[in-house]
Amino acid sequence: MNEQELGVHRCGKCGFRYDEALGLPEDGIPPGTKWEDIPDDWFCPQCGASKADFGEM
Amino acid sequence: MSETMIPPELVAPAFNPATFANRDDVHEIFTRLRKDYPLSQVEVPGYDPHWIVTKYADLREIARQDEIFHGGDRSKTLISQAGEELVKQYTGGQSNIFRSLVQLDPPEHQKYRAVCSGAFSLDGIKAALPNVEATAKIYADKLVSLAPECDFAAEVAFLYPLKVVLDLIGVPEQDHAKMLELTQWLFTYADPDLKRPGSDLTDPQEITRTWGIVFDEFEKYYSPVIADRQKCPRNDLASVIANGKIDGGPMEHRALISYFVIASTAGHDTTAATTGHGMWQLAQRPDILADLKANPELIPGFVEETIRWASPVQQFVRSATQDYEIKGRTIRKGDLVYLSYLSANRDEEAFPDPFTFDHRRSPNRHVGFGFGGHTCLGIHLARMEMIALWKQIIPRLKSVELTGTPRMAESEFVCGPKTIPIRFEVEAV
Repeated sequence: MNEQELGVHRCGKCGFRYDEALGLPEDGIPPGTKWEDIPDDWFCPQCGASKADFGEM
Repeated sequence: MSETMIPPELVAPAFNPATFANRDDVHEIFTRLRKDYPLSQVEVPGYDPHWIVTKYADLREIARQDEIFHGGDRSKTLISQAGEELVKQYTGGQSNIFRSLVQLDPPEHQKYRAVCSGAFSLDGIKAALPNVEATAKIYADKLVSLAPECDFAAEVAFLYPLKVVLDLIGVPEQDHAKMLELTQWLFTYADPDLKRPGSDLTDPQEITRTWGIVFDEFEKYYSPVIADRQKCPRNDLASVIANGKIDGGPMEHRALISYFVIASTAGHDTTAATTGHGMWQLAQRPDILADLKANPELIPGFVEETIRWASPVQQFVRSATQDYEIKGRTIRKGDLVYLSYLSANRDEEAFPDPFTFDHRRSPNRHVGFGFGGHTCLGIHLARMEMIALWKQIIPRLKSVELTGTPRMAESEFVCGPKTIPIRFEVEAV
């Protein structure tokens, strides 16, 4: 996998960052998981905002 | 197997503001509830039955479903039957005196939140950073000038966030003390030291009476401000609120005044409580001060842990708009649901060693700012101002200890330390 293609998405409500390189292993999302591969009903683990509330950094 | 009905005598003290003077007593109640009655109902005499939600996962599940669990159909905060009856008389049938973002439900809530969401966004508050940092320096300088002893709550924690948010709103400095007084009447209506003078704490309707007076006082203060900003908008938050549009028209009057109320009260009292808890911890844990001095990059994590620890907004109440299944229980349409953010932030299943203050805790997904659509609008400002203050104080603070036991305000709603007597040394320049 080309690490340079991995991005970071930030929650517009609370500022929580989803880093594709790191994933969220504690939530069952392995490192390297692309943003588009996260289910649409996933929500921000910090504040509960929807996936749509995130923006790419 | 947990029980579905909680003995009233177990919960009744948590409905009494005086109990909150000792947080250990409060935590003892909620620890027992998490263990034996994790999602159960109680009927405390004088109150309608409430589901008491104490577990982190349950609270998050309910709090993020604003369509199902409303905040405005019944009182958003704990209130007795007698108190709610008086609210209805006062408002002409409404269950809440205030109609702030806290009490609004979808779709109205999103429309009102959008009025200020830009101003309070991460990008929106960047413009405020220079003034916040300058204010942080003023209060760090003040702390240094007070060495070797002070009451950190009264001299710094109450005043710094007050100035930050009132400067943003556009309230002149000479009115800041009045705003602090009204805030304390509102949130600590039952505290003997902070309550409205003349209020009768033995009367179960006192909260309603005091909150009605607070609303009237704010209305009197802000009505000319609103007229002024509508006529001549300035570069301040008052102008943003006063000119906010809902569906292209003006805000409803009670909601407009309530917008100013929440900004002028919750905008600083919660941060003050959290900041106070931070110093309280530093005074008891020299290891934390040493770690932060050596590793200032840990200050944001320290702030996050102070928020979890403080949980200044201890509870909100929602009402169910439909039947809802959770953990094998059925919350019925119309049922009241008491969400204990204080308890969720000490849930043993969510936080390892939850009763240890760990400034290196990671992840630290507390619910101190709430969860879901009602997550605190001022979340970024609150973090920014607390980080700014500790960045100023930590390098200059050589040591700190308590000279007495800090005293918590007596409040079952928003609560924090009202005194934090400290002795401290500052670093030589």
